[in-house]
Amino acid sequence: MKRSLFFTCVVMMTMCAAAQAHDVITTPVTWDREISRIFYSRCVACHRDGGAAFSLMEYKDAFPWRTAIKEEVLERRMPPWGAVKGFGDFRNDQALTPEQLELLTSWSQGGSPEGEDKDLPPKDKLNEMMQESAWFHDGPGDGPDAAERHHSAAVAVSGDVKLVKPLTLDGLLPKSVPAGSFQIIAEFPDGRVEPLLWLDDYKEQFAHPFLLRSPVELPAGTVISGIPPGATIFLLPEEKK
Amino acid sequence: MMGMKFGFATLLLVAGILRAQNPPIAPLPSQNAGTVYICPMDPDVRSSNPGKCARCGMSLVAGLPDPVEYHLHLDVTPKPVKPGQPANLTFEIHDPWKERQVTKFQIVHEKLFHMFVVSQDLQVFLHNHPTLGSDGDFHYEYVFPKSGLYRILGDFYPDGATPQLIAKSVIVPGPAPKPVSFTRDYSPKDTENMTVELVTDPPQPISGFKTQMYFRVKPGEGLEKYLDAWGHMLAASEDLIDMIHEHPFIADGGPQIQFNVVFPRAKSYRVWVQFQRKGVVNTARFDVPVKALGQ
Repeated sequence: MKRSLFFTCVVMMTMCAAAQAHDVITTPVTWDREISRIFYSRCVACHRDGGAAFSLMEYKDAFPWRTAIKEEVLERRMPPWGAVKGFGDFRNDQALTPEQLELLTSWSQGGSPEGEDKDLPPKDKLNEMMQESAWFHDGPGDGPDAAERHHSAAVAVSGDVKLVKPLTLDGLLPKSVPAGSFQIIAEFPDGRVEPLLWLDDYKEQFAHPFLLRSPVELPAGTVISGIPPGATIFLLPEEKK
Repeated sequence: MMGMKFGFATLLLVAGILRAQNPPIAPLPSQNAGTVYICPMDPDVRSSNPGKCARCGMSLVAGLPDPVEYHLHLDVTPKPVKPGQPANLTFEIHDPWKERQVTKFQIVHEKLFHMFVVSQDLQVFLHNHPTLGSDGDFHYEYVFPKSGLYRILGDFYPDGATPQLIAKSVIVPGPAPKPVSFTRDYSPKDTENMTVELVTDPPQPISGFKTQMYFRVKPGEGLEKYLDAWGHMLAASEDLIDMIHEHPFIADGGPQIQFNVVFPRAKSYRVWVQFQRKGVVNTARFDVPVKALGQ
């Protein structure tokens, strides 16, 4: 068994070395120009020296992961935002845009070139981009308790619920969520239906709140539906200043 | 041991595909010294010289601002919106720094704003163009034909920024349509004044890898550019999570139009393509199941 494992490792290392040596550059997208900017705005808040995950701060760090990176971002497993873009509008949105996905795919498939030093943003600017990320100081993986810590009036709901009093909704935080894809909506007393949050492959290990860009006024009688059996979601009311 | 053999075979297959994806080509402009001119719409199209994008016809620009996502707010009135009745769609765009309303836009493919509407059951498809009002918002009157979820894709280019492609969701109250399930459909489509055929390479598209989609139109003469491109494509995954907007990779007005698409996930995709012939816009629809590598 150990011999088989050793053999497999040797084959994989040989193939990786061969792939690196023979990668032909077929993309104009480079680490120095496009990819570093995407990584510092969306990945490096966690993937850094001293961060929650292995570093992707430098080209030499990212290159060995180029194929896995493409798979992870196309499957929306990374960044671990866990929600579908454009269903609800969130001020701490960390999902990649279609343009960013296209650039990362092109870079990964096209030989993952480093580019030219002149195109790399100055260190200060990269650090600024990293620190502006919503997850630099706060999550993901902050844990469901973040709701209680940051929103003292958080309301835990399970299943369909009808609000008995008005609520100004500032965000949502999933506490326990089964695997899968489900849409949480607000059904207003006047008959309109508004999308709130479409969770898709949300992972509790990366628990984080979804903070609305603009608070939503939910009158008494509004029904929050779409929360599957067994799941608990915190409704985060707007904090009074 | 069996597992190891399978793993080794998979590795060889992956290596083969990676090699196949990377044919040798001439050095790219980005590897040369000096200014690089980039297409704002197709950022992989670059040149050492100013000019037009060979793919979509837009003017190349020297360098580009950092890609930053703008904020698109969509309001639908009256509330609640009702199926079969006119609704007013208002798109308001704000910058991401100070939430100031943006009122200056670049023309992309002859229009300031392109809108795609796809219904939950993927039966409804619309590509049209909201107009800019004096209030700085884009407006469009639309009749949602049935209840359910609609995904609306806004494609616009704020002045001084990069092109934006942003999805929004509208729910029309009422019974939700039945869950969609479709199988491969590459059959030729008779449209307004042409027949459209589809061949893909590879024949079975693989998620995460490039699929070359060859559309062949008959009759082969009379093809014209529609909105400054030889064709337009929207691909939507069966779950409406992926919305891909593409223009031809290779087209010259002849009967074959090639799109290159990377389908992100192992799902079925409904693909709409639009071509113009003799002043008539043709829309054809195909269903493309995509599998994972080794599936």
